[in-house]
Amino acid sequence: MSNNKYKVLVVEDESNIRSFMRTILEANEYQVLLAGTCRQGEMMFTSHQPDLVILDLGLPDRDGLEFISFARHTSAVPVIVLSARANESDKVEALDQGANDYITKPFGTAELLARVRAALRNSRHSQEMGAVPGGKFILKDMEIDYDRRLVLIGGREVKLTQTEYNIVTILSEHAGKVMTYAAIIQAVWGNADSGSIKKLQVNMANIRKKLAEKPGDNRYIVNELGVGYRMHEG
Amino acid sequence: MERYDETAKDLLFTMAVLTVSFLINVFIQRFFLTPSLIPTIFVLGVFLVSLKTRGYLWGVLASLLSVVAVNYAFTYPYYAFGFSLPESLPTAVIMLIVATMTSTLTTKVKAHEKMKAETEREKMRANLLRAISHDLRTPLTSIYGSTSAIIDNYDILPKEQQIRLLEEVRGDSQWLIRMVENLLSVTRIDGGKVQVMKVSTVLEELIDATLIKFRKQYPNQEVQVSIPEEFISIPMDAMLMEQVLINLLENAVLHAKGMTELSLTVRTSGNRAVFEVADNGCGIARDKIGKLFTGYLDRGSAIADGQRNNMGIGLSVCATIVKAHGGVIEAENRKSGGAVFRFSLEMEELSYEQ
Repeated sequence: MSNNKYKVLVVEDESNIRSFMRTILEANEYQVLLAGTCRQGEMMFTSHQPDLVILDLGLPDRDGLEFISFARHTSAVPVIVLSARANESDKVEALDQGANDYITKPFGTAELLARVRAALRNSRHSQEMGAVPGGKFILKDMEIDYDRRLVLIGGREVKLTQTEYNIVTILSEHAGKVMTYAAIIQAVWGNADSGSIKKLQVNMANIRKKLAEKPGDNRYIVNELGVGYRMHEG
Repeated sequence: MERYDETAKDLLFTMAVLTVSFLINVFIQRFFLTPSLIPTIFVLGVFLVSLKTRGYLWGVLASLLSVVAVNYAFTYPYYAFGFSLPESLPTAVIMLIVATMTSTLTTKVKAHEKMKAETEREKMRANLLRAISHDLRTPLTSIYGSTSAIIDNYDILPKEQQIRLLEEVRGDSQWLIRMVENLLSVTRIDGGKVQVMKVSTVLEELIDATLIKFRKQYPNQEVQVSIPEEFISIPMDAMLMEQVLINLLENAVLHAKGMTELSLTVRTSGNRAVFEVADNGCGIARDKIGKLFTGYLDRGSAIADGQRNNMGIGLSVCATIVKAHGGVIEAENRKSGGAVFRFSLEMEELSYEQ
């Protein structure tokens, strides 16, 4: 049976945090591997081939960012970064270096499990379907029909421009995971110039208006201030 | 960069004062024919320059120029140099003395003020530390006590009681987290000296993120939101500004007794966005209204044990953050009852073609 469990490698130097993460993850049917240093993490990564890595950025021996580039040499395994609130720049850098998502300390059980699920689902999704979207994405009363290039809310079509549709699609393909401004801009416009974050923000404001999402609704798309956007999981 | 600005400002000021003195003297000479007033006006000018500029340079420069001007324009032969030493020399010496003495005095006063501010800051820091240590001890004691109780009496305590204790532990730790977030925000700014890192932030996104976070803490508290329809971008440290709004909302929840309506409003006024958090609760006591934003520090050592509160530090943090963004936060009681907190931030000019 244990072969069916996802293997999660937790690289974190605080033993208390390691131990409570292990408790949460094991209670939810994940197999947990623990490492206290970057070096130990790299060894366990190579020998156990985990399905997911949860990585603290502030490790005693080396910068957590080094672990990300190490892991990215050989695999596309999802990496979730744990970061302190004060260091937004760290977390953007980690995401740009190839981390898949981040959780800000302190975090609750529900948040941790949601991120883990989303990361695993996303990696499975991209392995199975490749980059070509197909079929439908459903989130609450919103439906994205990839074949007809339509977004519907409550069965009624939302009129989006080409760019707006592309942004929504990209977010939905990575639902549950934060997409940095840079990643979205790269995917939508292909290149990033200095004005493009503002361009993205203006488009996003229009999208939210068209989806009738009021501040605080938290229905479809979450603003990660200074980092990017995240669509809820379908 | 800033140095050049200061120098340019001093230069401009010196020139302006001298020009004005010169013009006044031209006026006096033309209409009153009382040449004895002329050097006095220049002395006054030199005094002003020495008082308002930094260092000795500008005062000395002003006095020399004044002597030249008196000699050139206001002593016979008019509008030509004619050096009659016995007259010019004493004027020059007197002006130089005025300039150096004033500059020395000003510099001393400035240094003294700086020292006073420094001491004041130290005192505030000490008070803050004392107040915080006290406030941290209460939840820590409760966490320590509850968890020990559970571990030591694991087999005896009924399950419901254990869960109740653990819920208290969770509540206390959440309170500690918010407290520490506030402290982090303050140390990030540190007395308003360090400039905050401002990034263009979309107003609607800020409000959205704030409300989601606030609703996690207070799921049962309705907030009426009203913000402008248009796309507004404001340079700010979004993390800190989010903290300001959450603190203000939380402050209303905790302290506006009898509140049934809580609102968060943003409107534009000129090139500024005005933020308002208003409630219809009990309002702010008259004797507290002046000390709301510094109250936490002023409590000093005379803290009564008992109910802990976030209010003092929360509002002090708000004031510090808003100040670091070039704004002022104010609180007042509404005529219709309840309190309103208000501050404004400068908006970004939008030059964007769709």
